[in-house]
Amino acid sequence: MASGKIAVTFGGTAKQAAERTVHVTRNRTILEAGHQAGITIEATCGRRGRCRSCRIKILKGDAPPPTVQDAVQLGHDEVLEGFRLACQTRMLGDTTVLPMPPKEEEGHQILNSDNSLYDHQLHLDCGVAKHVLHADPPVEEHHQTSDVEEILSVVPDLKENTMPLHIMRKVPQLLRQQKGQITVTTFNGCVTDVEAGDTKDQIYGMAFDIGTTSVVCTLLDLTTGEQLANAGGMNSQAVYGGDLMSRIAYAQFDDKKLSTLRAKILNQVNKYIRQCAEKANIDASHIYKIVVVGNTCMHHIFLGIDVSYVGLAPYAPVVRDSLVLPAVDLPLRAAPNAKVCTLPIIAGFVGADTVGCILASRIHESEEVRVLVDIGTNGEVVMGSRHRLTVCSAPAGPALEGAQIRDGMRGAIGAIEKVSVNSDFECAVIGDVPAIGICGSGLIDAAAKMIDHKVMDCNGNLRKLEMERLPDNIRKRFTRTERGTAEFILVWSDGAGKSRHIGVTQSDVRQLQLAKSAIFSGIRMLQAVMQLEDEDIFQLQLCGGFGNYVNIESAKTIRLIPNLPHEKISYVGNAALLGAQMALLSENERILADQITHQIEHIALAARPDFQDIFVNSMNFSGSRFPLRTRKHSRRPRRRRLSRQ
Amino acid sequence: MFDFDDQEPELIIPEGWELRAPEGWEWESLWIAVEEGDYVYTDQRVRESIEANIDPRVILDDGLFPGFNLQADRFSATIIFIPEMLITARAMKAGLALIRPLLAANAEKPVGTFVIGTVLGDMHDIGQSIVTIMLENAGFNVINLGTDVHPRKFIEAAERENADLIGFSALLSTTVYYQKVTIEEFQKAGYRDKVKILVGGAPTTQEWADECQADGWGKDAVDAVRLALQLVEEGRESWV
Repeated sequence: MASGKIAVTFGGTAKQAAERTVHVTRNRTILEAGHQAGITIEATCGRRGRCRSCRIKILKGDAPPPTVQDAVQLGHDEVLEGFRLACQTRMLGDTTVLPMPPKEEEGHQILNSDNSLYDHQLHLDCGVAKHVLHADPPVEEHHQTSDVEEILSVVPDLKENTMPLHIMRKVPQLLRQQKGQITVTTFNGCVTDVEAGDTKDQIYGMAFDIGTTSVVCTLLDLTTGEQLANAGGMNSQAVYGGDLMSRIAYAQFDDKKLSTLRAKILNQVNKYIRQCAEKANIDASHIYKIVVVGNTCMHHIFLGIDVSYVGLAPYAPVVRDSLVLPAVDLPLRAAPNAKVCTLPIIAGFVGADTVGCILASRIHESEEVRVLVDIGTNGEVVMGSRHRLTVCSAPAGPALEGAQIRDGMRGAIGAIEKVSVNSDFECAVIGDVPAIGICGSGLIDAAAKMIDHKVMDCNGNLRKLEMERLPDNIRKRFTRTERGTAEFILVWSDGAGKSRHIGVTQSDVRQLQLAKSAIFSGIRMLQAVMQLEDEDIFQLQLCGGFGNYVNIESAKTIRLIPNLPHEKISYVGNAALLGAQMALLSENERILADQITHQIEHIALAARPDFQDIFVNSMNFSGSRFPLRTRKHSRRPRRRRLSRQ
Repeated sequence: MFDFDDQEPELIIPEGWELRAPEGWEWESLWIAVEEGDYVYTDQRVRESIEANIDPRVILDDGLFPGFNLQADRFSATIIFIPEMLITARAMKAGLALIRPLLAANAEKPVGTFVIGTVLGDMHDIGQSIVTIMLENAGFNVINLGTDVHPRKFIEAAERENADLIGFSALLSTTVYYQKVTIEEFQKAGYRDKVKILVGGAPTTQEWADECQADGWGKDAVDAVRLALQLVEEGRESWV
């Protein structure tokens, strides 16, 4: 302790072979220490001690006394067992901690796009062209020319007679190799690269979907459209808040914090570019086009644009147009010769990712009315056909990603993902290991089964009366949380005290209701605007990483989506990334995105007078309601005049 | 098996209520109507009560409040949720609409004047509309400024109405900042000691209320009303 620093070791389980130790000054939080050690501990609430996502267990060393937030979020028992919130716990001495649940990147169900989904003929025209040319260095001193001019003079169809500075710097050398044979790469008539020799067949590009929660990308061969590699993982900004608004709040009116977020995402994108290039065994300098989609906030932060006012009414974005920027300006140093193309933005809460979804779904070409529902922290609903398109953003909050749910977690190993009932409740767990939590799709499934089996009513109230009408094995699953609210147990603890039971509490149900009613009311609002009944909807498509794991019947039972016939509902995978790939392979599509953005009508939900009614009406589940108390008296004579006798 | 009935809030029956209505008068149907949100019946029964010459204060206390309080307690204990609370509030509103003019005619003074609104940058109003109804029920004269309210408008309304209490609602973590800003504006205008300021909304906490030097923080609507009744008794600089 001479240095005044203390050692914090992360790990402790057999699986985590490499324990990581960092030395930090006293009084730093465990979250900060984890950060320093390169361990991602999610802090969904933005380090405010208001959720359980960053909980850790202290294995060795003195556990600091619990804070108020520890006691509130974790409860007495867990605090005694050594659990703490990493964002609240300040280190006093050498400690070994176990992040909970153990994070395994590979275990995350983050959806990459599937190549088989291009069902319409995409004309390959990526805008990148390679010209194999012969250029001689200047020969006579009195020729008033230069190396660069000599090269530019032989390139056909140039729009701009110049080249980037970092290319100019290497021109003298390469012009004098290979006997003047060079390959000049242009993007829409502007020189982006000059190389010695013939590299005509090496044209690559990448598509990125930067989501609030996760980042996924693919590397494509732009001459064939073939997918060569992909990468993905949690958005590394997640430690600064799980949902969009807490991310904005973090960076609001603070340039330094904005830079921190920007550096995080740029590092991650650079890392994925290198990873993909390595996997596909290509030279990253041959990546010439990168299409990026993401919601408005992620888009702005990626470009280093101040998001302070995106978080305040009227939630206007700083820029909406699609942009084409040199990668070195961002800087994305991993792909120095690329042009970074962002798709356009529709509104503050309807970003380029939605534009990507629209492109991929071809809803703008459809003759019949379709609905596109992107289920995420911020859900988006697109409705319409080629005649008229409307879009709205539905602030579902992070509950469907497992945040603000007591036993909630993301769709990683150990998460309950499906619930079925034969004679009793049975849970399917990702990775087939003992359950450590429940993810969004599991929660939806659980809620639907609880409604089906009369554990919960349409108002979301857990059953309290006439319990004797339930079968024994279901009835005994009712319990109480430490705070005295009702809870329904899904998975029992193993009895050895090693794990505690996993359940759905009354407040979890409330969070689910808020989340799903945001999306449901988004759909209903667009129906009201377009004057469409359920029968008028030809198809409903679920997209987004999360949408693909949702059980359609369960989603209908909890009224996340309208009760349409099964064959009218389909999954489209990660449509945002797919749309980005289409814009990557075809300049036509990229330009089309701009047109769509100008035509689509954005409906601002909160500003509409009828929204509150629609929102409240959307909060119920399907099914019947239970009485709240037994009546000692016979029912009140309804609407009958009672007179004084 | 767990017995859940013990957690059910007791129906609060006002003291001596049976003595305050004509003999044989029956209130329970009204309690249940408010509890279940049957505003048509509530309206009808309150009219009948008025026709029977029952003191409006008694109709309010003995007829409308028991059912409403029961739901408010359930709401506070997360037993029921926003839709059911709003349904009950709607029935309560129907009854209050009939009772309020009578109370005013009887020269009953409101407990205090409460200016409420959602702060600048925020368009959400479900939370504050529940609080508004509950404050009205508690006898406050409530001025609801709506959503996305500029600090200047709060100050103007406070001046105009000689407000006793002001409530700022914020539902986004990006807009709670404006609760602090608005409080600072009151400070600058020299009105900070004339009013008591409450803050509330999903992202707020007691620590936040302390940080922005509000006089109180309501955990939920029920808590806000309790706090308002308590703060209105505390000393303030007078407006005139």
